[in-house]
Amino acid sequence: MASKTILEVQNLTKYFTTPAGQLHAVDGVSFSIEEGKTLGIVGESGCGKSTTGRTILKLIEPTSGKIIFDGKDITKYSRKQMRPLRQEMQMVFQDPFSSLDPRQTVMQLISEPIIEHKLLKSKADIEKRTLELMETVGLAERYINVYPHELDGGRRQRIGIARALAVNPKLIVCDEPVSALDVSIQAQILNLLRKLQKDFGLTYIFITHDLSVVKYFSDDIAVMYLGQMVEKAPSDLLFEKPTHPYTKALLSAIPLPIVGKEKPQRQLIKGEITSPVNLPDECRFCKRCDVAADICKQGNPQLREIAPNHFVACSRV
Amino acid sequence: MNEDLVLQIKDLVVHYETEDADVHAVNGIDIEIAKKRTLGLVGETGAGKTTTALSILNLVPNPPGVIKQGEIWLDGENVLEMKPHELEHMRGNDVAMIFQDPMTALNPVMTVGDQIGESIMLHQGLDKKAAFEKAKEMLKMVGIAESRAYDYPHQFSGGMKQRVVIAIALACNPKLLIADEPTTALDVTIQAQVLELMKQLIREKEMSMLLITHDLGVVAEVCEDVAVVYAGRIVEKGTADDVFNHMRHPYTEGLFDSLPNLKQRGEELVPIQGLMPDPSDLPPGCAFAPRCPYATEACTKAVPALQSVEGSATHFVACTAYADPDFKLRRNRDGK
Repeated sequence: MASKTILEVQNLTKYFTTPAGQLHAVDGVSFSIEEGKTLGIVGESGCGKSTTGRTILKLIEPTSGKIIFDGKDITKYSRKQMRPLRQEMQMVFQDPFSSLDPRQTVMQLISEPIIEHKLLKSKADIEKRTLELMETVGLAERYINVYPHELDGGRRQRIGIARALAVNPKLIVCDEPVSALDVSIQAQILNLLRKLQKDFGLTYIFITHDLSVVKYFSDDIAVMYLGQMVEKAPSDLLFEKPTHPYTKALLSAIPLPIVGKEKPQRQLIKGEITSPVNLPDECRFCKRCDVAADICKQGNPQLREIAPNHFVACSRV
Repeated sequence: MNEDLVLQIKDLVVHYETEDADVHAVNGIDIEIAKKRTLGLVGETGAGKTTTALSILNLVPNPPGVIKQGEIWLDGENVLEMKPHELEHMRGNDVAMIFQDPMTALNPVMTVGDQIGESIMLHQGLDKKAAFEKAKEMLKMVGIAESRAYDYPHQFSGGMKQRVVIAIALACNPKLLIADEPTTALDVTIQAQVLELMKQLIREKEMSMLLITHDLGVVAEVCEDVAVVYAGRIVEKGTADDVFNHMRHPYTEGLFDSLPNLKQRGEELVPIQGLMPDPSDLPPGCAFAPRCPYATEACTKAVPALQSVEGSATHFVACTAYADPDFKLRRNRDGK
């Protein structure tokens, strides 16, 4: 195989201890990504997709499992050992309101990673690079001296993207990077991220709840539910042949911008995601599932390959 | 005013006057909503959607917000000329509003039953006990078990909280419901449930609704009529079929081209170039001209007025390019 695996995650788990019991945020997730590709991780609030992203970057310590980045097993790396690696793996955060220091100006925010990693020395170079990054992410130059609170969510998110791009990373974990943006701007950012990927061979982990965005953007898609991957397949295959009942429901819940023409029948799923604390040993989706049967209560199904590269965790398939 | 209209906004202009700048948030918006109709107000951040909605309740924060001109007729009365006690009566009774963020719309130290009951007590003069009983009924209506009336907001999930907010809004049977991005903060499967619930309740209670959203998918799901707003003006309006299937305005086309929903992977999205203009410094003429691929010299000369599309009674567009009778949007060419 010509392309190289840049990241491999094996059986990653992250449990949090709460007064009520063990919270299974991420529960046995495995995947690998080749350099220059995009893996989309999709799921709803509380499915563990953000925790997965953060654990990979070791912003959160994993409970167990293995993270192999660029051939190095970084699972046990200390903060100090991680430091040089931070330049290669960056993150764009979900919430542009809490991820930016409110006391720094746009200039300070975007130049911070450049200074922190000693990429440029002279003040003029740093300013030039900052302006260049601002232009890349679509921030008008006049915002250079304003504070985040003066900007709307969309512009704040652009700062976050500029900060990640500033150090020329190899891998970017994008956690809902366009959810806060308007559609016309969202399309600009998606095109931009795609262009950067092409130009610099970036690898993305694209975490989102928005299936239409991942479809457009990802090579492979993994669907998560309550800390586990329930389906994983190449993007086109997943949309052509969604197999897990949850994937099907998720796909059919997207409101399509179509009026009057043929529209696929909606399948509403009942109920809401259950608590990830003290999970019983059964299929985690079975309480909301239309096709649940007795077998679903007997053990938690694991991912199986039902067709080449198409993995599903469902006892009914 | 027309008898069948629940809401009629005429030439509304709202500015936010701050020390640094005069922000032209709404620049002459006309909207009509007939009985039992649902209008979707679509536009991006800063287009003036929320300001328009707040004006209907006369709730634009003042200062810095100033309603400079216009009339807002609500069931035969001009909201902008109402006295404070009339406004108080109107808000919640005739018009109710649902906000985007259900997490901050509820009082964290009051049970949800009390919160729903509060608005019933206030507007319908019931005593506390009767109001609480009514509140339980409302909860049932939005699909929450009655027993949860004694719970506090933090004990509910986001989707459940939004259901509670809907119950509060509908408790007094308003004629008009204003929903400002009601499902934006929710997960897709929950969004689908809440939209379904809203559609059903609006039908049952024969209400009109103004739905504010940036999501064209949500509009297609819920609305009969659509108005597209850009920089404080309506650039195109019509029935959902008019706007989705026979769109005329370049901005509307740009919005649809930006959507990844219907695109194939690998296909380049066609974003709208540039950024929304700064509302404190709008360009002369058509505000969309600087971003418009069809713009000509003429577009910067005058603000185009809404004009009927080929004599249609429902479909209107504000675009100078149609001065040329042969002009067509790219997607309307090749006989599509």
